[in-house]
Amino acid sequence: MSDHAIQSKPADDPAFQLPSLLQGLTFPLIIAGVLALIAGAALGHFGVNPTFGMSVYLTSVMYVLTIAIGALFFVLIQHLCKAGWSVVVRRVAELMMVMIIPLAVLFIPILVSFTGEGVLYKWDDPGYAAATGIDTTVWGEKSRWLTPGWFIVRTVLYFAIWGGLAVWYFRRSRTQDETGERTLTESMQGAAGPAIIAFAFVTSFAAFDWLMSLAPMWFSTMFGVYIFTGGILSAHCAIALFTYLLQRQGALRDEVTKEHYHDLGKLIFGFICFWGYISFSQYMLIWYGNIPEETHWFYERSQGPFLSISAILIVAHWAVPFLAIMSRHVRRRPALVAIIAAYILVMHFIDIYWVVIPEADHAHEGLGVGGAVGVLASLVCVLGMVMLMVGLMLKVAGNTRLIAVRDPRLQESLAFHNI
Amino acid sequence: MTEQTKDKKVHGVVAEYTDVDSLMAACRRIRDAGYKRTDAFTPFPVHGIDDALGIKPTVLPWIALGAGATGTMIALAMQIWMNGIDYQYIISGKPFISLPAFIPVAFELTILLASFGTFFGMWALNGLPRFSNPIFTNPRFDRATDDTFFLYIDAKDPQFDQAGVERLLGDAGGEQITAVVDDDTPTKIPRFLLTAIVSVIALSMIPALIVAKMRVTTSDKPRFHIFMDMDLSPAKDAQQTSTLFADLRAMRPDVPGTVARGAFDGNLDYLTGIDMEELSMTDAPRAQRLVAAYAQGDDASGQEGGDDESADSGDAAAQTDKTPWLKYNPLDVDMDVLQRGQTQFGIYCATCHGLDGRGNGLVNQRAQRILATAWVPPSNMHDPTLYQDQYPDGKLFSTITNGVRKMAGYASQIEPEDRWAIVAYVRALQKSQNASLDEVPSADRGTIEQEVADVKQQLKEAAEAERQRQEEAAAKAAAEEAEQAEEAAAKEAESAEAENTEE
Repeated sequence: MSDHAIQSKPADDPAFQLPSLLQGLTFPLIIAGVLALIAGAALGHFGVNPTFGMSVYLTSVMYVLTIAIGALFFVLIQHLCKAGWSVVVRRVAELMMVMIIPLAVLFIPILVSFTGEGVLYKWDDPGYAAATGIDTTVWGEKSRWLTPGWFIVRTVLYFAIWGGLAVWYFRRSRTQDETGERTLTESMQGAAGPAIIAFAFVTSFAAFDWLMSLAPMWFSTMFGVYIFTGGILSAHCAIALFTYLLQRQGALRDEVTKEHYHDLGKLIFGFICFWGYISFSQYMLIWYGNIPEETHWFYERSQGPFLSISAILIVAHWAVPFLAIMSRHVRRRPALVAIIAAYILVMHFIDIYWVVIPEADHAHEGLGVGGAVGVLASLVCVLGMVMLMVGLMLKVAGNTRLIAVRDPRLQESLAFHNI
Repeated sequence: MTEQTKDKKVHGVVAEYTDVDSLMAACRRIRDAGYKRTDAFTPFPVHGIDDALGIKPTVLPWIALGAGATGTMIALAMQIWMNGIDYQYIISGKPFISLPAFIPVAFELTILLASFGTFFGMWALNGLPRFSNPIFTNPRFDRATDDTFFLYIDAKDPQFDQAGVERLLGDAGGEQITAVVDDDTPTKIPRFLLTAIVSVIALSMIPALIVAKMRVTTSDKPRFHIFMDMDLSPAKDAQQTSTLFADLRAMRPDVPGTVARGAFDGNLDYLTGIDMEELSMTDAPRAQRLVAAYAQGDDASGQEGGDDESADSGDAAAQTDKTPWLKYNPLDVDMDVLQRGQTQFGIYCATCHGLDGRGNGLVNQRAQRILATAWVPPSNMHDPTLYQDQYPDGKLFSTITNGVRKMAGYASQIEPEDRWAIVAYVRALQKSQNASLDEVPSADRGTIEQEVADVKQQLKEAAEAERQRQEEAAAKAAAEEAEQAEEAAAKEAESAEAENTEE
């Protein structure tokens, strides 16, 4: 079959190495990222208030972390269903998922904020229940879960599970680059099932703890799924975008074809629908039930600047990309897929921002987005975080191949055809 | 080609290939030769064969999109029409047209119609349902699902020329090149199949016939309830008894301490008609009683049962009334308030007090007629002791709320706001009897003068009409009388004549 006979290149081919331009960007990005990250958080801290500074930092951490765990999910699900098509882009996802390790370190400032008694999380403020007039029995139950010590234990547990999975899968995948053992693939497939279950629990609980508890009295069982959908959608976008940038620089040119972009595009399209479906489901039940203890979360997001952001999310996070990537003609053009992917990554930031920042106004003083300083702080901070993460990712990528060169399904992936 | 196939209609030509590569090569050749109406049959899906055959991308996605969009529009239009326009029904306090509630249905209908559009669109594009295809006449074609690849060129192709096509397919490596001809098996439906179809139809009508028969016949057996508790709901109606509670009441009284929504907003002045701040200084125990009664909601109306000031009758009570009544109506009185007050007055007050407030409503009239001994005539609203200067607005409000003498309190029937509206209307009623034209704003005087003139004119006309009618009636009566007299005279004359003839 002449159509299917694609010969893979030798494992040491320069097409599998990180292009020199990106290699050169590694350290400048890391340094600029750290500086911008600190500058953004400091600007929020001193320019607005300490709570806002921490909220801005949390936004940045959660933005990249959701993408990293989305990449972890991508890798797990490919192994779980023994997917062949995705082998050529799986290494890119693997590079993203190991960023969970540096993010665990970057999460420390959030845990340190407990020394400030409610700087970031209202429930950490001893006067919170009394000040808001919450029923003591309700608060007694809540505060059994929401204590700094137990919160830190859980956080360590989450990172241990995510990070353990990420490192385990990354190590096996890299070992296979050298040895080409089939048993490695088999062991990764075998572990994928239990790993997905652990992943689902950890992701849900992390979303509840880190983001939902910003509004301690609010609850939505859908919230974990909601944060997960944004992450998995963005992870697909990040994989498409990063692969495209690598190809522009000369790597993986013959390996990743428009067929792979077509499949990534289909998944992006699907997860756009899923994001809309999940966020609407969460909203509609609360809107219909109309119980004050549930509606206040959305009420706060319909005040001042957050109303516009809510509207932007509906239109720009769902309707626009939904229509933009609906056509297969778009999905089969890598440049268009990359542009839409970059656009959705911006929208994902707005999504996380919309979750975190409205809760930063602890004193109910109509803080909003914190004025021009607040917006600037948020943007600088997240930009720094993204630069830092890309820099670290390039650092890891410089020491590895950009494709799983001895994966037993590499041939299948190279020959992949949609039609 | 055998003799047998010669005189039959040729539908096309089919060739066999042993492997995918030779099939693909052949596909490309006939595509490049310009054939359009072609088809390939393979035991498994072959990537890229659409391109090799020159098959254009299907329009099916557009059909699906159109059908899906139609579904969205139908669902939204249907719900907006049903719930927003045709049969407005408040659900959960939401607006009649509330988009979030419509989205699930719109979503479902979008998916449903898109699925139907895709499924039936695929049928239409493939020319389905098609029960028979001439290519099935070729016995070797069974292997298309097994191990052989077939390439078919339809005779409807504009370039079709049987000999040329056969040569082309042969050159491309095809084997067993045969013409596809009409199926010569009989087209009649077999007898057993017809019998089966008819019996299935007949049998399927039995349930419908049973239902139809039961609908037109009667039975003396009691009705069979599939869902007993749905047919005979255990829920109690108002005023029924229930054994669930010790007091046997099905309607439960309010739990002590509950306050109905809007019943108490903290503004006691508004609810009592008393300046509570002042009352707490002059009569602290009474103020405390009032506060407790309203705040605990023991008696949502907050009536001061047995309160001496308001319950006592006679002018003596008015003399000793030290209650700091609100002097003026707390409402912003405008035309709407007055009209509301008029309506409420007409509903609740006028039966006794009369529409004009003179105390001679229908109830009073009947009481007078039957000489009811215990009857206390309703107050005349136009008594000067009930004017604002002697009977403040707050006191009037309190009277409506708590009642006075034989009049019961109306707190449970009339909302506080409506009671204040009635107070405002009573004031207007009082004014209407004593106001001079000077008190009317100059802009409105013309209208009133015009109205007065009109009424006078109408009265005058009515009086004139009445006078004329009476005159006419009198004249008519006189004329009739004269006529009757004439008739009587004529009769008499007749009878006299008859008598004469008899004789």
